This record gives sequence, structure tokens and C-alpha cells, in this order.
Amino acid sequence: MLYSSLLFIYGFLPLSLLLYYAVPRKVQIPLLLAVSTVFCGFIGLRYLLFMAAYTVINYAAARLISRYRGKNEMASAVFAIGVSFDIISVFIFRTALFAPLRGAFGFPEEFFPIGISFMTLSAIGTLMDIYGGKAEADRNFIRFALYFLFFPRLIMGPVLRYRSFAKMLDSRKPELAEIGVGLTIFVKGLAKKVLAADTLFMLYQAVRSRDVQDMSLLTAWLGISAYMLCLYFTLSGMADMGTGAGYCFGIKMPQSFNYPMFSTKIRYFAARWQIQTVQWMRRYITKPLYAHFTGRIMRRLIFIGVWSVFGFWYTFSLNGLLWGMLIGAAITIESSISRGKLIDTTGVIYTAVVVMISGVFLAGGDVVYSLRYLLAMIGRESIADRFGFYLVKSYIVVLLISIYASTDLFRNMMIRSGRSRIRSAFAVISPLVVLLLFIACTAMIMYGGSSVIMLMKL
Amino acid sequence: MTKLTSKITAVLMLAFIGVFMVFSIFGSKKSRSSEENRELSKCPGITSSSLLDGSFAEQLGLYSADHFPLRSKWLNLNSKLREEIGDGIINGVYAADDMLLDADTSRRASSGSCAAEINRFARDHSGAVYVVAVPTSSGVYRERLPEYLDDYRESQQISDFYDKLNKDIKRIDAYNILKMLNSNYIYYRSDTKWTSYGAYCVYRTVIQKLGFLPTTFDKYSIRHVTSDFRGNLYNRSLCTSVKPDIMDFYYCSGGAEVLSCTGVGKDKTIVSKRIYDEQQLESDYLYNAYLGESIPLLRIKTSVNNERKLLVIKDGYADCFIPFLTQHYSEIDVLSPELLDGSASDFVDFDKYEQTLFLFGIENLSDSSIFASLNR
Repeated sequence: MLYSSLLFIYGFLPLSLLLYYAVPRKVQIPLLLAVSTVFCGFIGLRYLLFMAAYTVINYAAARLISRYRGKNEMASAVFAIGVSFDIISVFIFRTALFAPLRGAFGFPEEFFPIGISFMTLSAIGTLMDIYGGKAEADRNFIRFALYFLFFPRLIMGPVLRYRSFAKMLDSRKPELAEIGVGLTIFVKGLAKKVLAADTLFMLYQAVRSRDVQDMSLLTAWLGISAYMLCLYFTLSGMADMGTGAGYCFGIKMPQSFNYPMFSTKIRYFAARWQIQTVQWMRRYITKPLYAHFTGRIMRRLIFIGVWSVFGFWYTFSLNGLLWGMLIGAAITIESSISRGKLIDTTGVIYTAVVVMISGVFLAGGDVVYSLRYLLAMIGRESIADRFGFYLVKSYIVVLLISIYASTDLFRNMMIRSGRSRIRSAFAVISPLVVLLLFIACTAMIMYGGSSVIMLMKL
Repeated sequence: MTKLTSKITAVLMLAFIGVFMVFSIFGSKKSRSSEENRELSKCPGITSSSLLDGSFAEQLGLYSADHFPLRSKWLNLNSKLREEIGDGIINGVYAADDMLLDADTSRRASSGSCAAEINRFARDHSGAVYVVAVPTSSGVYRERLPEYLDDYRESQQISDFYDKLNKDIKRIDAYNILKMLNSNYIYYRSDTKWTSYGAYCVYRTVIQKLGFLPTTFDKYSIRHVTSDFRGNLYNRSLCTSVKPDIMDFYYCSGGAEVLSCTGVGKDKTIVSKRIYDEQQLESDYLYNAYLGESIPLLRIKTSVNNERKLLVIKDGYADCFIPFLTQHYSEIDVLSPELLDGSASDFVDFDKYEQTLFLFGIENLSDSSIFASLNR
């Protein structure tokens, strides 16, 4: 069951809200765990079993590390075992290389634990924090289990430190206004997914169905723009839906994306893209390495290396690694060349071009294909063809809308407008806009009852 | 966002979700959708394996979508939205300016195995065999579809299929006849199939090959029986931007009459049928008015006095074509092989006919299992 399904929107979510607001505050946390368990059960009982085992093992590791920390070698041993377990389990499910192990552990070939990539980061981070003495292991198993199983966080993160998550639980303020905010965010995410991403995916598919050897420049650029926008809308849409659902329960998780696509610098793109995951990489890989290596060149290499790891995390293949490496290298080059401010428009175009070019690696099946695609993008075959024009004609509306929606123009207008008329007018119509968008999204998923295209399994 | 706005949003949204949730759970459930012309899914049963791998939730998801309150209204809205924001492909159906076209290219597979089955049939039986493969509307109006859709075109598929047939089988090129006439109303706007007029145009050539002179068009009096026909492409897309279709019945004034028309069911029960069944105009799929609801075997006797017998082995495309043949044969037996489980030879003696006509839409010729009962 994904967030973008009728079953979730018109069944699971309202029913769990009803229960949540009906019980006293003390019971709310156990109830959240219970409904999250049901959510996992709906994805599949096998998935639930896997998640339960995963949670128990990490809980045991966290408790043991905490108990033996600073006393004897036991802490290090448990830490090593725990982290290896987390890393191995993500590799088993995300790479073909380790696939035979799936069978060995009794999982069928097609089984994939949704959200395993985010969960691994959360688990490793927590163990590292406890081992490093930055946090204590929570004795309360219910809260600890909720950290892993909380359904609004399950599919698309965000990766949070245990401490921050626990704080959000404690300071939760379930009330009607929060539900309004939450549903607004949810509908925004739903629209990103089913209106924008799914349509852009068809454009991308149309381009991918062509032979890359005789693709025109126009078609190639359309294809990669569609892919990057689709990726952005899928990831941020799913994340928004999760965050929105969290708000409905009064739990305020942070946004995962902050309008990265049309930033004025690559550095800003990097800082606004999948924010918590990038932060995780910095906190748990870059910083510890920087502490050991102080040389400037070495640090730059580390920086690029960590971005490669981040890219690898997306696809678990060479292509993702190359994407990360390119972005990392671009940031490094950018910061050493220009420290000054670029003019906005130039900056936006330059960032978009770099993002698209590196995106070819994230999209492509293999490196050879990506290189051929890059050749098409510089017009090796032709500048434009009928096919390209046809695509422009068919998709121009959705392309323009999604480009606008992926910039921060609207938000900035709202902020700048202060207490002016625009703002109050928008306050009046916004509930209606939300409802209309919601109706449109419901119609879009009515055929099969859900929208399942995910681009990548995370 | 101010607090008040948030509260209003919450109330509005919760009310909307709540109403639809309550009606989804407690509302009455239909077992069939007439708009989509299909059976709706049933509430899934719980088994240990379906719970384990999550397929239970998947089926429950389909069930909830199938029985969502006002589903067909939602689908109408869906097709309108998709026409606006995408390239106009709705559930595999392309909404061109004034007609719907099948854009699901997965069915464009090779027809080689079907050709092999027909070859086997021709070898095993004595009569002459004629084959007509009818293109779909997206084959004849290929240029209206988005160009990128597929490289394996229907014209190609048909000629590949014809090439694989034995030399002594006579094939009739319906594709080029229809292509030439495609400014006429030869295909339905909302169905993949040809109209009666399209069938007539091909009939003129087919009947000459079969050894008769065609009945000229002016001999027919045409009755518009409905202008509300919504075909299979509409059922799939529920796209309302295309006008419903007109269906015609052709009566040959002063020509031969149909004396009897009996259907034989799967279990050999005999029912009385009609060439034009007006009762079906009240049903979910109006096209069934041609020859009535499909039945494995239909025996037609006419007032033509020439003792000629024809066997037609066919799919739905032939339904509006058969009436034209009744002017030429005293007996026509019409066999729909895909409706039979057992052997077709229990129903008809294939060697009794001097001529056998295979008439199929090319869209149904990618899977040879429809001929399974034929050579059993």
C-alpha cells in the first residue's frame, strides 16, 4: 500500500486518524505503532516479519552497545556486528550481486523491503551516535520500534536522528489546524506524484522508446528534463505525502526537498536536494574523515567521494556513483572558481544544465548508454526532428507547469506579499484549491486505484 | 497559512474523504459496470500466501477502486484531465481529434502461430479456404496516432501473417481497401471494429473471390438503429470528448430472406437467434445487436436456392459482415472457435463445406489459443 492509493487515502489514513484522536494522549504512541504495524502488514506479512526482525536486532544492538560502552571490547564488537548487519541487509536487497543470499534467507526473488535504504541510514546513524556517546539507547521498545516503523516515514524518509524523532513525538500537538496543514502538504505531494511525475514519466518513456543513436538534440533534452523533473516530483511527492500524513498526527517532520531544481548554484542545489540524507552523509562520513585528513586536496577528494557514495545509494550501480561524483566535482570546481554571486538567470541556467547533464547517468541503463545519450544532447545526430516537436506539442503544458512548480517563485511571492491582498485572497481560496487538486488526483488514480511508478526502489 | 484557513481546509477535506469512505464501505456494490462493459472485481478472499506477499492488499486496492462511489464519473474526469495534461493516452486509448484509437501496442505481436493453425486446418480438410484479416481502426488511421508508438505496424503484421499462409489458401487484402476509403465512416469512433459500411466495402471484394457478384449498394435500405453506441475503446477510456457512434442495419429489398437462424451453445443447447437482434440495443454492448450475443455456432438458412454451403470461422469483426453473405448462400454456418472448450468437430463436419472463410480482426490473431478447438 503506497500513500498514492485510494486504499490509503480513503481508508487507512482516515481510520487511523479517527482512532488516534479518539484515544487519550498516553495511548497515542502505542496506537501509532499498532497502525504502523497494520500498514506494514498491508504491504505484506513477510515485509512485516522482516521489519520486526530488523527492528529487534537494531534495538538489541543499541541496548548492548549502550550497556558495554566504555567498559570493554564488547561494545565495539556489537557495534561492528550491528552496522555490518544493516549494511549487508541493504546490499542483499538492492544489488544483484548479493541476490543469491535472499534465497538463502528464505526470501522469494521478488521480495523488496520498501524503504530499506532510508532505514539503513537511520539504523547506522543511531548505532554510531550511541557508540560515540552522543546519544543514549532508548529503553522504551515501543518508541524505538516506531522510529523504524512509523508509516509516514516508511517509504521516503526523511532520515532523522533518533533524538530528533523522539523530540517530535514528545512535542506533538495533535489538533484540527495541524490536520489542515498536514492534508495540504499531503495533497501537494499527491499532486506532485500523480499529476506531474506520472505524466512526465510518459514523456520520458516516449523518449526512452527511441533508439539513442538517432535521437535529436531536442528530444534528448526533453527526455532528460522529463526524467529529472519526474525524479524530483516522485521523491519529493512521496516525501511530502509522508510528511503531510505525519502532520495530521501532530508530528512535524521536516521537508526533504527545498525547491532544488532551479537553484542559482550547484551548491544550493546540493543543499536543497534530499536534505536529510545529504546531511546524514556529511555527519557520519564526511566529518569523521575530515577529522583525520586536513590536507586541502585530500578533503576535496573526500568530498567528491562522499557524493559518489550518495549517488551510489540511489541506484547501487556505477551509474549512480558517476552521478554523485559529477555533482560533487561540480560543487568543488564551483567553489574554487567563483566565490561571488552569479546573476540569478545565468546561475539558474548553468545549474540546470549541470544537473541535467549529470542526471543522464542517474537515468541511463548503463555507462555506454549514458555516453551515447550525452552525444545526442550535443546534437550529434540532428538538432530537432518531428518526434521532438510532437513531444513538445503534447507535453508543453505539463512541462511548463512542472517547471514553475519546481521553482520557489510561488512561495517567495507569498512571503513577499506580507499582509497584502494577494495573501488574504489566497488564504480564502486555498482550501478550495486543495480540495480541487485532491479531486483531480483521485480521478487520476481511479483506474487501478493507485499510482505505483517509482523510478527507483529506495 | 493562517490557523483559520488550516481549520477550514481540515474540515472540508475530512468531510470529503469521510463521505466517500463511508459510501465506499457501506454503499451498495455492483457486480458489473455497464459503462466499462466488464465484470468488476470481487472482494478478495484471505489466504496465507496472499497475506504473506501482500497480494491481498493489492486485490483489495483494485476492489476498492472498482467499487469506488461514482467510479464512472471519476473516470470521465480522468480522461478529460489526461487529454489536457498528457499526450492524450488514457488507459492505452489515444484520443485523436474526433475518434478514439487503440494505442496499446502490446497486442501487436506476430501472428505466425495463428497462420500455422489455419494451414493445418486447410491441409486436413477438403474445401477451399479463404482468409480475411481485418485491421483495427488504429491500423487504418495509423497516421493519427502518435508517431513514436510502435514500429511494427498493423499493415506489416497483416502481410507477415499472409506470407505465412500456405499457397493454396486464398487471402483477401482488406487493409488496402479500407485504407483507400478511410475518409468514409468505415470505422467506429469509439470501437476498434469496422462499421457495417466498412464491412460492406470489403464484402464486395470477398464475395467476388468466393464466386458471386456483389449486391450493389443501392439495393440496400439502411436503418439507423442507434446513435448512442459506445464501443470497447470508450469502455476502456470513458472518454466523453468523442461523439457516440451510429449503428446501421442493412436490409436488402427484394433479396433473399433469412428463413431460420439457430444458435448452438457450448453444451449443445439450441436457441433461436436473429441476424439483427434489437433487444441487444438495450444491453451494455450495443454491437451485440449484430447476430445477437456471441454463441459458439450459428446456423443460418436462407431462401437462396442454390444448395451452396459456407462455413465462416470468425471473431466479432464478422458479426456485421455475415448479413451481406445471406444473399448468396442457402446455408451459412458461423463458428466462433474461441468460445469452445472441446473439439469444434463435435459441432460441425468441416468436410461438408466446399468453402470455408476465416474472418478475424488482426488484433485477435496474436494468440493462437483461439484456434485450439479447431484442430483438436
